[in-house]
Amino acid sequence: MKNLLWLQGGACGGNTLSVLNASDPDLFTFLFTHNVKLLWHPSLSLDNNITQILNDIISDRLHLDILIFEGTVIMGPNGTGMYDIFAGKPMIEWLRKIATKADYIIAVGSCASFGGIPASEPNPTESTGLQFHKKDCGGFLGKNFKSRKGFPVINLSGCPVHPEWLLTTLLLIIEDKLSQEDLDEFNRPRLFYSTTTQFGCPRQPYFTYKISTKELGHREGCLYFELGCRGPYTRSSCNNILWNNQSSKTRVGTPCMGCTEFDFPSFNFFKTEKNRSGIPKRLPLGVSRGSYVTFSAVAKASAPQFLLRPLVRKGKGDWIE
Amino acid sequence: MNEKIISPLNRVEGDLDLKVIIENNRVIRAYPMSRLFRGIEIILRNKYPMDSLVITPRICGICGASHLYATAQALDMAYNAYVPPNGVRLRNVMALAEMAQNDVRHTYLMFLIDTVNKKYENLPFYKDMVLRWAPYIGSSYKEAVKWSKKYTEIYAIFGGQWPHGSAMVPGGVTTDPYYNDIMKAKGILTHITVEFLEKTVLGGPLYQFLEINSLNGLEQWCTDYPNGDLCKIWNYGKDMGWLELGRGSNYLMSFGHVPLAEKYVPGNSKLMFDKGIINLENWEKIDLDQNNILEFVSSSYYTYDEGEKIGLHPFDGETKPLPPNASSSKYTFTKAFRYKLGNSLIAPEVGAISMLTVGGNSLMVDLVRRFKSNVLLREIARIIRLALIHKIIMDELNDYDINKPAYKKPDEVNTTRGYGMLEAPRGSLGHWIVIKEGKIYNYQIVTPTQINMGPEDPFGNLSHLSLSLLGTEVNDVNNPIEVAHVVRSHDACMVCNVHFFDSGLEKMVIRL
Ligand code: SF4
Repeated sequence: MKNLLWLQGGACGGNTLSVLNASDPDLFTFLFTHNVKLLWHPSLSLDNNITQILNDIISDRLHLDILIFEGTVIMGPNGTGMYDIFAGKPMIEWLRKIATKADYIIAVGSCASFGGIPASEPNPTESTGLQFHKKDCGGFLGKNFKSRKGFPVINLSGCPVHPEWLLTTLLLIIEDKLSQEDLDEFNRPRLFYSTTTQFGCPRQPYFTYKISTKELGHREGCLYFELGCRGPYTRSSCNNILWNNQSSKTRVGTPCMGCTEFDFPSFNFFKTEKNRSGIPKRLPLGVSRGSYVTFSAVAKASAPQFLLRPLVRKGKGDWIE
Repeated sequence: MNEKIISPLNRVEGDLDLKVIIENNRVIRAYPMSRLFRGIEIILRNKYPMDSLVITPRICGICGASHLYATAQALDMAYNAYVPPNGVRLRNVMALAEMAQNDVRHTYLMFLIDTVNKKYENLPFYKDMVLRWAPYIGSSYKEAVKWSKKYTEIYAIFGGQWPHGSAMVPGGVTTDPYYNDIMKAKGILTHITVEFLEKTVLGGPLYQFLEINSLNGLEQWCTDYPNGDLCKIWNYGKDMGWLELGRGSNYLMSFGHVPLAEKYVPGNSKLMFDKGIINLENWEKIDLDQNNILEFVSSSYYTYDEGEKIGLHPFDGETKPLPPNASSSKYTFTKAFRYKLGNSLIAPEVGAISMLTVGGNSLMVDLVRRFKSNVLLREIARIIRLALIHKIIMDELNDYDINKPAYKKPDEVNTTRGYGMLEAPRGSLGHWIVIKEGKIYNYQIVTPTQINMGPEDPFGNLSHLSLSLLGTEVNDVNNPIEVAHVVRSHDACMVCNVHFFDSGLEKMVIRL
């Protein structure tokens, strides 16, 4: 049996709600099938015996296999942690003690991983991630922190995390199948963070031929060139492992906001910032400016005509370019 | 005298601690305390206005679409946007799908599991409650886990993902659904209606339930369909004294919800659920004017430039946090919401019960006329609302015109302002945005839990939750389940759980 504890810091609860959306298996079936005991969860537990549980873990009366932390670590004001008081103490005091007792620690969501929205400028709550602050390794627990099994904090970034990413990671841990080589430079499982959001996006043909949609509200056209889609340089599996079994942001015409990356939220959403020659400031992952320019010219010239018109409905489609 | 600090009060959305002072088994004072500050309003300053569409849904993991809808409406107003009827319909579908998800999860995952409490052990129907509602194992609990997520699938078909999509934008929605999307969403909804709503929740056919318009009708329903949870909650709840528990404010308030697609005018739409305030003493209906909204900080960890006595309208609102300090008279990160009514400041109740009563649902009105507001009617209200949502989503999808657009691009305005007001799952929600030179100058958010659970104002008026706890009889001070019922019946959300705490800051007596 594995003991699992779920705590929330500066959180919106979105990761919790996201995990409740898990379907095959659902959260409770998963816990039951794999013999995991949920020691406590702020929204789900019947009893309010969390102080007891925390003290038992700290005094080694209770073994903690996996700690899941959702939300930012709130250090403010002035490093006191008083903006987030939990069970009578600043959450950071609990966290400091509990972290040394857990075999594995998982940061769910971009807040716990990198600081997310609360840690963005001017960071009024002095928020940080468990082991990263934005792109810098360190965060609350420090660069050299290892949980009892020798792992760094495993980051499952995303705002929120996809339930399948979390349950699969839990299963890998429970079955002892996760190794440190499986994690990327931000300590995220490569399994879910090696592709970009573009993988599986139905707009990919438009991206290939550099065909843009100039306004929201349409199926056709790629959202990268004008509308600020971060899909080409955001590592996620959102278009491969669909959300709520149905869809993804780019599939419904919402630009990718880059929510799995350390710099989320990078602001100025819904528009593409360009340099003076009209080239997007942020280029697709791994593509140089020179090859982007050359490739774009060729691609644009080779664009198939049917992609320049609405696919299903009649009309000119003057939003396609 | 017993002072209990219940921290964290779990199973509410957000960090809420509650201090209750109990004398002779009666609550004589209650202090709801929000212990978490995230500073979203500060982060939004100086950002590009459209960025709020990405940031505000992340205020709350369970009602992000309501925040998104409020932001989209505020920007509609600020940019003078025209929203095609299709855009309004899809926004309504998304907001209501989220609300349905919330109402199911609240009822089964957060509220009803308290019926396994040892206080009820000797009741003849205790076993039935455990078999239905016990966490993880109860038959209805399991159904709720299974079906509540299906509502999020409807959301995702149009919104991309739930939680935290950003598909509502000024001018409509980003999506341009095909007919198969509409068909699939309807299919999922029908599936939930037949397999969950009718079988588990109502116990009988939806269309027939929607015809009920009085207490008599509800009692008849319970005779005809005694096996649905609705009937069980109603009958057991009455026996457990929930109709007398947690009355509170004399006023029910709703910001109104669900604009009619063809009649959408930001700030001035025709609504399916009307806005307003009802005085429960005399049933006077008061028009709601957002100019009369004020927020006070005399008991909150904030300061205002012009001192503690004044109240600020959200357009002029300030967010200047102070570090929590045990020796000050301030005790919460929630500002005190007050509505200026003539010469007095009222602290109304918001939530499903207010939305339906103010909105004119005849069954709800009849129940509230007879029993005022209380724990049981708040729960019943969510079930009535859930049934209504099923119908409205279906109607909106049926009326969707696949040959027309759902978005019209508005022109951005550089210096402007706007607000968006609606009903979120837990009650009235408002966003106020002031834009100067193309940047957000001020963004203020008033949330339902803040309205219900704020502190007192400088003139000593208590908030609705404090009032509803006053006089509550606590059978066993070591098991203050009555207090938990009152708080949880409000589906509290300090984002995203209410904590009863034992503390280093204050003397702890009992934990819940
Ligand atoms: S819409 Fe975004 S994710 Fe899809 S192809 Fe274009 S850039 Fe990539």
